[in-house]
Amino acid sequence: MTDKKIGKYTVKIIREKCIGAASCTAIAPGVFELDEEQIARIISQQGNDDETKLLAAQSCPTAAVIVVDNESGDQVWPIISK
Amino acid sequence: MQQLPPPKQYVAKLADTEPLNGKFIKFQFELVEPNLLEFIAGQYVSFLVSDKGERRSYSICSSPEVKHSFEITVDTTPEGLGVNFLKNLQFGQEVQVLGPMGVFIVQEEPREENLVFVATGSGVAPFHSMIPNLLREKEDKREITLYWGLRHEEDMIWQDEFQDLAQAFPNFHFHPVLSQALQEWPLCRGHVNDCLNIHTLPTGNTGYYLCGNAKMIQEIKELLINKGIAETAIHHEKFY
Repeated sequence: MTDKKIGKYTVKIIREKCIGAASCTAIAPGVFELDEEQIARIISQQGNDDETKLLAAQSCPTAAVIVVDNESGDQVWPIISK
Repeated sequence: MQQLPPPKQYVAKLADTEPLNGKFIKFQFELVEPNLLEFIAGQYVSFLVSDKGERRSYSICSSPEVKHSFEITVDTTPEGLGVNFLKNLQFGQEVQVLGPMGVFIVQEEPREENLVFVATGSGVAPFHSMIPNLLREKEDKREITLYWGLRHEEDMIWQDEFQDLAQAFPNFHFHPVLSQALQEWPLCRGHVNDCLNIHTLPTGNTGYYLCGNAKMIQEIKELLINKGIAETAIHHEKFY
């Protein structure tokens, strides 16, 4: 059985890049929280709307939050230079 | 946990720039829409710096009592996207800002008996907002100490302000530490670790606030934990 992705975007966190700045949790508290080590983790992909999720990712000072378009599978943030 | 104001999108305009020395420039932005920014000392804002959606974050270094404008102070030596964006702004030019954000604020509960702030380089920026706010607006009587590590004396900014605060408020202590000081430098030499190692740290329930590069924060955390400080008493904001 395949996972059905809901919404336009799926967000992922690169733990090694996270410095606990907490901008993602401030902007999208329904999606992100800080764990016991003050590193961001995802609590729900549906916690905030897609534009808020993208803004939260863009606000990360270390580009630790990746946004993937569910339909195309392409990474939309950070922008990958071609 | 203190209630933090939710971040909002703001339009602000560049109102003033002031080179503080050869390394640091202070930028002042006037709020346009909304025209007031409520924040807690220690928080930061995120600027939109390109039309590709790229952002850069900077700690607010001005007083939270001033709500119609805010200031950031930037180390201009790494000439990255954010620095070049800021340096190329014209007076009156509008920018898009998201904020306030961040949880690096003085903890209210449980209340810490003493406060020790440790910064390296531009990491002092949030403390330039936090410390005067504690001493002047909040009339905080706790023992408050700032250790600030830099390489050279000419890199220092705000030393007169911090020294004036130390003169005016007997509970505030300022310890600048230079790693490449000239012979005539009369104060602490080496790195902030060295200073913390030889100074007698406050006893009791003391909160430690660290701001600077990740390596410094890791080293200071280990030093403090080895001295018996509880990890929950150590708060940090990593600049990178």
